[in-house]
Amino acid sequence: MPYWYYDKKDLQNTPSFRDGIPNETENRYRKEGARFIIDTGSKMDLGYNTVATGVVYFHRFYMFHSFRTFPRYITACCCLFLAGKVEETPKKCKDIIKVAKSLLTEMKFSTFGEDPKEEVMTLERILLQTIKFDLQVEHPYGCLLKYAKCLKGDKAKLQKMVQMAWTFVNDSLCTTLCLQWEPEVIAVALMFLAGKLSKFEVMDWNGRTPKHTAWWDMFVEDITMELLEDICHQVLDLYSPQTQPSGGDSPPETTASRAPKNDKKPSVTPPTSVSPVAVTKVAAPAITPVKNGSDLKLEPPKIDMRFTYPGYPTMPAYPPVYTAPPPSIPPPNRLPIPQGPPPPLRYAEPPPAPSRFPPVNVPPPNYFGPPLPTRGPLPPRGPIPPGPLPPRPYYPPP
Amino acid sequence: MASKIQSVSAPREPAPVMSTSSTILNMREKEKYIEDFEFPFCDESSKYEKVAKIGQGTFGEVFKARARNSSKKFVAMKKVLMDNEKEGFPITALREIKILQLLKHENVVNLIEICRTKATLHNKYRSTFYLVFDFCEHDLAGLLSNVNVKFSLGEIKRVMQQLLNGLYYIHSNKILHRDMKAANVLITKNGVLKLADFGLARAFSVAKSGQANKYTNRVVTLWYRPPELLLGDRNYGPPVDMWGAGCIMAEMWTRSPIMQGPTEQQQLILISQLCGSCTPDVWPGVESLDLYNKMELPKGQKRKVKERLKPYVKDPYGCDLLDKLLQLDPAKRYDADTALNHDFFWTDPMPCDLASMLAQHTQSMFEYLAPPRRPGHLRHHHHVPGVQPKPAQPTQDSGYQDRVF
Ligand SMILES: Nc1ncnc2c1ncn2[C@@H]1O[C@H](COP(=O)(O)OP(=O)(O)O)[C@@H](O)[C@H]1O
Ligand SMILES: [Mg+2]
Repeated sequence: MPYWYYDKKDLQNTPSFRDGIPNETENRYRKEGARFIIDTGSKMDLGYNTVATGVVYFHRFYMFHSFRTFPRYITACCCLFLAGKVEETPKKCKDIIKVAKSLLTEMKFSTFGEDPKEEVMTLERILLQTIKFDLQVEHPYGCLLKYAKCLKGDKAKLQKMVQMAWTFVNDSLCTTLCLQWEPEVIAVALMFLAGKLSKFEVMDWNGRTPKHTAWWDMFVEDITMELLEDICHQVLDLYSPQTQPSGGDSPPETTASRAPKNDKKPSVTPPTSVSPVAVTKVAAPAITPVKNGSDLKLEPPKIDMRFTYPGYPTMPAYPPVYTAPPPSIPPPNRLPIPQGPPPPLRYAEPPPAPSRFPPVNVPPPNYFGPPLPTRGPLPPRGPIPPGPLPPRPYYPPP
Repeated sequence: MASKIQSVSAPREPAPVMSTSSTILNMREKEKYIEDFEFPFCDESSKYEKVAKIGQGTFGEVFKARARNSSKKFVAMKKVLMDNEKEGFPITALREIKILQLLKHENVVNLIEICRTKATLHNKYRSTFYLVFDFCEHDLAGLLSNVNVKFSLGEIKRVMQQLLNGLYYIHSNKILHRDMKAANVLITKNGVLKLADFGLARAFSVAKSGQANKYTNRVVTLWYRPPELLLGDRNYGPPVDMWGAGCIMAEMWTRSPIMQGPTEQQQLILISQLCGSCTPDVWPGVESLDLYNKMELPKGQKRKVKERLKPYVKDPYGCDLLDKLLQLDPAKRYDADTALNHDFFWTDPMPCDLASMLAQHTQSMFEYLAPPRRPGHLRHHHHVPGVQPKPAQPTQDSGYQDRVF
């Protein structure tokens, strides 16, 4: 299977960038496309898994093609269409297009061309080839629930924390995090963030060993604080006004005003290292650390600031894009107002539990878990029991 | 895979300069882009050279092909038929791909890659896709329809042991095959059995209380379809494949499918005549299946599995295992693990390798190429173009002819 994780360098030197689209614009396109998939999916009652799969296809697609070649909204529709089929929640192409049309301005919808359905059909083949038919995508949701089960502490607070982390995972779809880190890493980071914000300090966890300095050591080896903070920042940046859509719609723009081509050498190379952090099975021996946290160094503002003061002013500005209750833990009715300033997050209000989400204690279906070991060698058996031995060889009667 | 990605250089050419005021590519430019784009992960099917047609399936033709860069490497290419698809790439093909990517096992056919034809004006910029598999010289239907192919008891045991081993693996991975039949069981010239055709397969989950699964029961070729499906069960599981395994096992001796019902109703009658009446006595819960009162179910039929198969099978252990696999009640039907532990596989003659027997045959044997004595082998519920498959021309390569009986 292809390797789908990229260095920050690679995420800057994308086909769109080489095609003259500045990084900030591309990131906005990605965010808008992802959000559009989320909105369309939600409107069609598609579950979080289907939506997330569609978004991951979308981000992967634009590691090989430019936003100028393929306008984002039709690609988004195509990704959702394919994800629907892959996740066994198929929707008719024409229905997706209908919803898309209702959500888009006429101008944006015009990029779908004269025969939108045919456009999606053609695009689907390109999408499939681009993603190498690597259809099955894992998302942080499952990890999140698995990890939460191991954590000890106040039940209500834990629920609140998981609820918040779940929302962060939803929102993280609007970033390129799924192109940088495995779902396990994202889940850890966003639980860490939610823990800080909801004041749920994990004191103890099941399966703890003296080697562990933090609960996530059980699941992900060698995750550094810098890395955690970097991931959290990428999500928190969604809520800061500086990165809000700044007018100017994506293509079409006029040729004249187009930025000069970014002629950097094209190299969509994956990091030479295999995995930045080793995702481990519980109690597995430590594996290789790889990516040096240093190239992830963040610019200020320091993340601690945001953590210590829950009322970080910019955070709630951007509403959670796609809220779903964590399936295994019933959402609390309302976050208790903590001492001090009220929590700023809108997430405090859990969304109504729509029926499309699995019921309590049923984790999202995961049809394709890791392959089970094959049947071991057959045990030796005792002596042949008495009885008539069949003739051999035996050929069937004509 | 990483090394491959490194050669990725997405559009090598910068996007063409636009003639219009829009920076979105116009139609022509986009077509050219699609035509020129080298998908780094999806090779062109022209890297293989078709040698012979070996199968006509429900969603496409199957060809034997040779890798152009190596005269020794053979593959089977299964075309993804998309002509009549209103909803794009067929969900069945997506399932098959997804499942085959997950399943990697000695007794499951190996999917090498998915190839495409180049998108050109000629195909309206829409590629055709092929699933590319490791080539297997025979399928079991082809072998069984050739009277010159004789299986010893030990060889039959080896076939069944591998088949059950494959089923054990896929069921452990929560996959139902749902189309067990001799034509979907491949055997290499070295005697390694591979379950194939996951075109109807799907993932299953164990139904939680109060929340029954709702799978379609329009699966499995009629002759291999278990009674619970015929009675409309939609909350079925691995036992559906075990019934098929029983039918195939019997066929190892009878050489043709043991119950060849022309209709679902007839199939149920044939099953009752062999396995006894479907009653709540032998099968608690049968009365609550959707079609239990809608189908005509023969009453008072005695179970005659051993009695009727004994003349063919002779081996008492074999008869006993068949009896356990052809249980009406899916809950009583042996699962793959239990079947593998049955004395049949642990008594003399022990399972024995097929390679030397197969070495006596230098032609590939496939159902598609066999003389048309196995009508109705096509899936019952699919519309199949009424063309009789034409036997392909014999072709010679690597010592294997692709036909000739
Ligand atoms: N890997 C393979 N090697 C050799 N023959 C194959 C292979 N895969 C399929 N075939 C042949 O093609 C036939 C049809 O393929 P199958 O996968 O069963 O498709 P369908 O869904 O159309 O039945 C099989 O019965 C078998 O004879
Ligand atoms: Mg088949």
